[in-house]
Amino acid sequence: MIPIRKPLQVCAVATVALSLSTWAEQPPQRIDVKQLSQKIEGVVVPLPNEVFGALNKLGSVNWKEYVRTNKSSNFTERPRIALLLGTVIADGFIAVQAEDAPAVRDIGQRVQALARGIGVERSITGHAKAITEAADKRNWEGVRQELDKTQSSVQQAMNEVHDEKLSQLVSLGGWLRGTQVLTSIVTKRFSPEGAELLHQPDLLAYFQTRLASMPEFNVPIVHEIHEALGEVRPLIDVGNAHISSDSVKKINDITTRLDNGIVTR
Amino acid sequence: MTISARAKTISCTGLIILLLFGLRTGLCGSVDDAQSFALQAAEPYVKEGFQVREDYWGGDLGSGEKKAVRQQLFKGNEYWFWMGTEVERARISVHIYDSDGKLAEEGDSWQKGHFAAAHIIPKATGSYFIIVAVEESSEERTHWALVYGFR
Repeated sequence: MIPIRKPLQVCAVATVALSLSTWAEQPPQRIDVKQLSQKIEGVVVPLPNEVFGALNKLGSVNWKEYVRTNKSSNFTERPRIALLLGTVIADGFIAVQAEDAPAVRDIGQRVQALARGIGVERSITGHAKAITEAADKRNWEGVRQELDKTQSSVQQAMNEVHDEKLSQLVSLGGWLRGTQVLTSIVTKRFSPEGAELLHQPDLLAYFQTRLASMPEFNVPIVHEIHEALGEVRPLIDVGNAHISSDSVKKINDITTRLDNGIVTR
Repeated sequence: MTISARAKTISCTGLIILLLFGLRTGLCGSVDDAQSFALQAAEPYVKEGFQVREDYWGGDLGSGEKKAVRQQLFKGNEYWFWMGTEVERARISVHIYDSDGKLAEEGDSWQKGHFAAAHIIPKATGSYFIIVAVEESSEERTHWALVYGFR
């Protein structure tokens, strides 16, 4: 059960007075990471807004250009719904970046409908309502927090009924949409710093491993994503070298193709 | 349904809820408690604009044991990792290393009893190792939880 997904508990207890004067004991300056390989705990996939926030610091981005609220196709296959759900939650983060309240509300409703499609609607009803309320008040931080809670609750509900693989597809859908938008922005205004945000080889390896363990999901888009991640990996796994503008463009082409496959029938 | 019958039904339902709640608490209370303490450590930072993630890592360790988690971090963001345990007499620690194994945390990382935190402003985008440890504890196994936030 590691990493663990659980709704944020509001601590009723008083904030601990943590004295910053209490310094940590001096840790070793260097460790042998090869010896750690047997002791690595699970992966927490970053939220799309984690990379969007870093991107914003490199220069202003016209996020409105990337807002998407059109209703995508309705699917009955659970893996497809899970991928789409992750994508739509990522769209929610984009709408928050653009501070587009109507789009956030639409996306909140769409998330609820998709969650219904895979039988986890009850886990997010409160969050969907909170998203709408926070968007109405233009409380963007609140919307971000609720989107994170929504994804976490949906995945926790899936994990509870042993649908961990569907839960991983939700994360994958969000990562793909986030990467598509990131590469689109960096392609338009290339900088080595922007391209460096794509340096995520371990995360990519994690998704590849997960997809390899899903032979039962016999839907073409899942196979297509698995194959495509193999194309992306050498483009971002460049060690200390820079990721080139050509590579960014190629990743954008690949992720755009996959995104189309996720949202359309 | 009469009032007394309804009261009886409510009281039975209440008993079942209490039993179920007790069962749930008994099954997964300790790591949840550890997470509450990790979140307590994070609370002051939320006011400084850190978004604390819902997902977290957790488990149990013996005295003197360490565990590594690997996390993707992005240059341009600032991160704090907060660790907590419900064992008040335990002493825990958390430290951050880059993918080459070099200590990468800021000097204001801290530990105080059953709370610890590590701060990083990544110099490069990529994978980092977060090493959690139970340095000392009165318990044979000590539950721990690690949460993180970014801004």
